[in-house]
Amino acid sequence: MSHSTVPRSSAEATTKIPRPGHPVVSDGATGSAGKRPTGKLSLRVRFRRDRLLLLMTLPALGLILLFNYIPILGNVIAFQEYDPYISDNGAISMLNSPFVGLENFQRIFEDSAFWNAVENTLVLFILQIVLFFPIPILLALLINSVIRPRVRAVAQAVLYLPHFFSWVLVIAVFQQLFGGAGILSQLLRQNGYDGLDIMTNPGTFPLLITAESIWKDVGWGIIVFLAALASVSPDLYEAAAMDGASRWRRMWHVTLPALRPVIALLLVLRVGDALTVGFEQILLQRDAVGPGAGEVLDTFVWWNGVRNQDFSYAAAAGLIKGVVSLGLVLVANKVAHLMGEQGVYKK
Amino acid sequence: MTPNAASSGPSRRSFLASTAVATAAVAGGMPLLTACGGSEGGSRDGTTSGKDAQKILPAYVASNVVKPDIPSKNGSALGFTRKLDLAGLKTSVSKKLGKGGKVTVMSPFWGSPPKQNNAYYRAMNDLIGVDVFWQNQDGNTYDQKLGAVLASSDVPDVVVVPGWNMGGKIPSAIISKFADLGPYLSGDKVKEYPNLAAIPTDAWRRSIFGGKLRGLPMPAPSAPSMVPLYRQDIFEKEGYQVPKSCDEFMTLAKEITNARAKRWACLDMKWTAFQAFGVLSGSEKPLGWNLVDGKLVNRIETEEYLEALEWSRKLFAAGVVHPDSMMGKNAPDPGPKFAAGEFLIYPNNISQWWGRTAEQATQNPDFKIWGMDIWGHDGGDPTLWADQPAGIFAFVNKKASESVIRDVLAVANVTAAPYGTKEYMMTNYGVEGTHYTVKDGVPVKTDKGNIEVMNAYVMVASPAATLAHPDFPEVAKGQVEWEQRMGAFAKKSSFWGMQITEPARYTNLSNDAEQLEDDIVRGRKKISDMQQFVSDWKSKGGDKLRDWYQKILDENGSAAN
Repeated sequence: MSHSTVPRSSAEATTKIPRPGHPVVSDGATGSAGKRPTGKLSLRVRFRRDRLLLLMTLPALGLILLFNYIPILGNVIAFQEYDPYISDNGAISMLNSPFVGLENFQRIFEDSAFWNAVENTLVLFILQIVLFFPIPILLALLINSVIRPRVRAVAQAVLYLPHFFSWVLVIAVFQQLFGGAGILSQLLRQNGYDGLDIMTNPGTFPLLITAESIWKDVGWGIIVFLAALASVSPDLYEAAAMDGASRWRRMWHVTLPALRPVIALLLVLRVGDALTVGFEQILLQRDAVGPGAGEVLDTFVWWNGVRNQDFSYAAAAGLIKGVVSLGLVLVANKVAHLMGEQGVYKK
Repeated sequence: MTPNAASSGPSRRSFLASTAVATAAVAGGMPLLTACGGSEGGSRDGTTSGKDAQKILPAYVASNVVKPDIPSKNGSALGFTRKLDLAGLKTSVSKKLGKGGKVTVMSPFWGSPPKQNNAYYRAMNDLIGVDVFWQNQDGNTYDQKLGAVLASSDVPDVVVVPGWNMGGKIPSAIISKFADLGPYLSGDKVKEYPNLAAIPTDAWRRSIFGGKLRGLPMPAPSAPSMVPLYRQDIFEKEGYQVPKSCDEFMTLAKEITNARAKRWACLDMKWTAFQAFGVLSGSEKPLGWNLVDGKLVNRIETEEYLEALEWSRKLFAAGVVHPDSMMGKNAPDPGPKFAAGEFLIYPNNISQWWGRTAEQATQNPDFKIWGMDIWGHDGGDPTLWADQPAGIFAFVNKKASESVIRDVLAVANVTAAPYGTKEYMMTNYGVEGTHYTVKDGVPVKTDKGNIEVMNAYVMVASPAATLAHPDFPEVAKGQVEWEQRMGAFAKKSSFWGMQITEPARYTNLSNDAEQLEDDIVRGRKKISDMQQFVSDWKSKGGDKLRDWYQKILDENGSAAN
């Protein structure tokens, strides 16, 4: 999801390039002439100029409307005692279910299981930011320093591959290797040690989840950083080298500044997603450690909604999650602005 | 706890065990019941009984095609242990009742479903005259699908719902989404479908939901169905004795376990522990209540319940439980590791006794699985609780046209054919030459048969509980005798035999108890956490629920014996 924003900004860049037969109206903008001429154009002119690009966004816009915006209406059940079975159609059931005000929210705030899920979610989020987030950056730098294209291609392929395995498969592999009856434990037992309790130990569960995520998705995460690195002009490195900058200096003063906007952008997006810590992955392992350690907000919503059919309760929990996430994005974005970065959107 | 409790445990393939309570065993006993929660028959919660039920129930017309070798006793299934005369199979459905319509059925499936258009499905559809299209869903996670499917506007023509999946708002969905079959089956109307008329009345009584006959039942034996299964071949080889008390079990378990050699004694024994300590049944919410000294008590409030959890916990703590069991519901299928001897004992539905035998017969001739008698925890006789006389039901979509309903009943009339008929043989064994071969007069399933002739049609409606395995008659004998021995210790709790729909506001009350049980047994939570849970449960509605059940009891009388 987060990757889509990068091409978007580059597409934006292309719109600024004056095209033949469609000259950018130079209205004598002072200072950095031609840098942001779009702001001076009338809406109609801009619309005519960009109509092809706008047309191209329509299908995506339609999908977003259909799958992201229309379902928002369903949140109304959070304020109801919703029974989907009173009619043949979910929407009609929604109209006919009684409103109960904030009762569902009240129940949630009194529910220790909810707060347990919040706590687990936050612990996982922090662990993932600290342990997961820096690794793709380091790997991208490493791969970027490999000169031979063939070695580089192989390394990239190997790193990307696990991303395409389903969670079911990844967890099965972990289970076979590290499970209580897995290869590692059995090897230990044969040599007179106790077996390990990695897969079913609630205490270390957040670490396990993070380790699995790293194994599966770290390779995928480097793509955006590699793209950012590729856009750094070699001239800069040459100039720095001419000035006697060492490898480390070049990395510090050229490479990292080039990555900074991307890092800030992804960090903001990640913070916005803070309360989403891997639904499928955790659901698959929830019972192996029990809900005390294995319940996060998403599984809490799933358990109450899908499993217990307490849809209103689950919707209320989901809504709380959505509102908090929105707040987090805004705050993170503000922080990014204060640090001089662009963040997700400009003011 | 609660119906969904059972889903975690051992997979409930009771349909294989097939069967039901013979009528003789149940003829007496059941008091007539009257509707609770208002006199109108269609109330959403409560139960339907007495005159209201009489009006709805189908007439009973016995059909004994083949006389059972072991008649039902103590709530056991009918046992057939002699060779079946395959040449002389009777025909119970003389003319095709199906009108050639198309019927989609959503049903739980345990294992890997076969391809849609396979030889077995084709042969069955030919026999019935209906084009049945199967939507097989994973049985272990069926409850997760069910709620969403029923909430959609696209409910299949037929939906099979096991009793243990009737948590949350599912009962309310059953009442509002499924058709009343009364107009087709009540009273003498059922005689149009002779095999359905031969289904015991107790099973039909359980099929009344919200005052209407909505379910097509799979009759089940009321004798206990959860068996501690063990590897008899290894027991004999190593000289292990079957334990007779919880202490003996613990001693034996420690003797068996040798983690270094990849052998543990057992899986999670929680379900056996509940039986050994005499804990009320957890297979269905109403069965968890019983009248004790004039007061209704729920199973989670009892000392026995805590003791059973504590003992199960000790097994884990002693390291005699296979590490896979730590994973709870995420644990893999126990079959292959049991066959490999990684553990020697596990509790599961009685159907696995035969299922595992058949599975291993060719590759693993030494393999022998057998059922232990349940012991009283202190070495005395156990106190067991009777199961419901029907636990799995097929429902027809309310929107189905009459012709679809008739086609569904045509399907049910074939699948409910009794042992000894061509229809039974086709339903349970498939096509001769393709799905089974006859060796010395005994049908033996082929590999194809083992893949294709699984679940599906047997889920729609079944004959009176039957145990017949012509390929392994000694297993059928062992199963029926086990049911009869254990059935002798089984008591009926207050709400046995009733189909009770709890008020919606209470249905999720005890949902988390099962998770807590598993956490305690695995050492992640303490017994005191359960005590805390129970006291919360009481104040959150448990006590009110008690009053609600008391009212049903006052109006209908107790089923306890």
